[in-house]
Amino acid sequence: MEVKLLITPLEPEEADKEAGAVYDLIIIGGGPAGLTAAIYAGRAALRTLALTGPGPGGQVSVTDMVENFPGFPEGISGAELAQRMQSQAGRFGAQIVSDTATKVDFSTSPFTIQTHSVTYRARTVIIATGASPRLLGVPGEAEFLGRGVSTCATCDGFFYTGKRVVVVGGGDSAIAEGIFLTKFADEVIVVHRRDQLRATKIYQERAFANPKMRFVWDSVVEEILGEQTVTSVRVRNVKTGETSAVEADGVFVYVGMKPGTELFAGQVELDEAGYVLTGQRQHTSVPGVFAAGDVQSPDFRQVVIAAGSGAVAVMEAGQFLAEQAHSGAG
Amino acid sequence: MPLLDKETAEQVKQELADLAGPVRLVMFTQKFECDYCAETRQLVEEVAALSGQLTAKVYNFVTDKEKAEELGVDKIPAIAVVGAEDYGVRFYGIPSGYEFTSLLHAIRMVAAGKAELSEEGMQALAEVTEPMHMQVFVTPTCPYCPMSVVLAHQMAIASQMVRADMVEATEFPHLAMKYQVMGVPRTVINETAHIEGAAPEPMVLEKLQGALASAGE
Repeated sequence: MEVKLLITPLEPEEADKEAGAVYDLIIIGGGPAGLTAAIYAGRAALRTLALTGPGPGGQVSVTDMVENFPGFPEGISGAELAQRMQSQAGRFGAQIVSDTATKVDFSTSPFTIQTHSVTYRARTVIIATGASPRLLGVPGEAEFLGRGVSTCATCDGFFYTGKRVVVVGGGDSAIAEGIFLTKFADEVIVVHRRDQLRATKIYQERAFANPKMRFVWDSVVEEILGEQTVTSVRVRNVKTGETSAVEADGVFVYVGMKPGTELFAGQVELDEAGYVLTGQRQHTSVPGVFAAGDVQSPDFRQVVIAAGSGAVAVMEAGQFLAEQAHSGAG
Repeated sequence: MPLLDKETAEQVKQELADLAGPVRLVMFTQKFECDYCAETRQLVEEVAALSGQLTAKVYNFVTDKEKAEELGVDKIPAIAVVGAEDYGVRFYGIPSGYEFTSLLHAIRMVAAGKAELSEEGMQALAEVTEPMHMQVFVTPTCPYCPMSVVLAHQMAIASQMVRADMVEATEFPHLAMKYQVMGVPRTVINETAHIEGAAPEPMVLEKLQGALASAGE
């Protein structure tokens, strides 16, 4: 194993706490969308604070390999990409703080954003809180979380060395992380509710060619069983209705994401699934509040798109600030 | 070749620029049968060179047995982060990947000699009257793990009765097996209580108090 060293922000209290300080822009979230926004905002000389939360880098930080981000022809580990974005974000003057927003008020300008200990104010906000793995919600899942049930193959893959695991899902995450798990596990069984995968073709080809991978089609997991740790899952074929047991030491769940928008309910308009509704240029229902990345769209979930939308959001925020200054408001 | 490239070294220098007091990185190693001893030693020496407040001290786990016992070190590679006093802050296995951040955190906290816990947290730790041992199992590729490690180390600093270890699970598979670690972070307190995932301070406190109650029985 190569020794890699990652440094994430250490001091949550370095931010400007002086009374009355109003930021031009506060970015909430520290994934590719938020960090790209911080890069652009710093370069635009906006007085910017990025609240990145404690888990740095967002979903990409738990992605084994990112092979489709331009500029890295050999691919780059998700952790390293996140780290690079983070150090780039800090270069241009944005304050990066590993604190978490706990409450926001967008009803009056300047907007207020609270963390556990500090209240910040800003003229514009970019919501970039991303999305987190959705769980199955079946019996046994919560009980065995950390004892056989996982949503992080890069974190926990090692513990399944020589074992057998079930991966639930058929999208990019499920298949890419399933392939990653074959580095450790003897057998990776993909349980998918349809009869074909949704994952990108290149992942599909690799998965089908991998002798350690097996597929259980048209099936959903109904229960996760075990004693101290997981021993099997009960699956049901959605076409025949038959149930069967699949022996497994672990279950990795990749059945989609849920947006990190609890904080914003009642503040900006959300869609039925809880994602922030944005227009073409990342505007939310509140003028001056923008959203970027997976928090506002479940459709693409790509690092490059999250980054792009973060850049757009800053440009629009800059425009908004310029107009406000021009009209003498704010 | 150095483990810290120029850019990383510069960053570390900045992070450690204003250390509140001297800190010793006491490392235990041996020549053979230790996968990451050489790298851990190199890491400790490179980091120590980046701050005037830091010193590295390297001991041989076999021939310096007394020193190991004095610091309660029972496996290698080990790093004890020692400040004005020994707060019980330990790293077992190499603090690489995301855990490198935990090491920098530990150095800063030990230098300051005080924990940054909530008032309730400080109060609860002041009331710990039995020896408590927190072991936080991690892998270097786990971005959530440093939260648990840093929190445990803070508790060690806050209470003389608490010692806290980062345990890099892939280097100590027998311990991972013993404590049934199948996901990280997993915090084991006094062999009796365990916490799955990066739990927030109040939840860890509750578990600690639970373990304390059963230790007092």
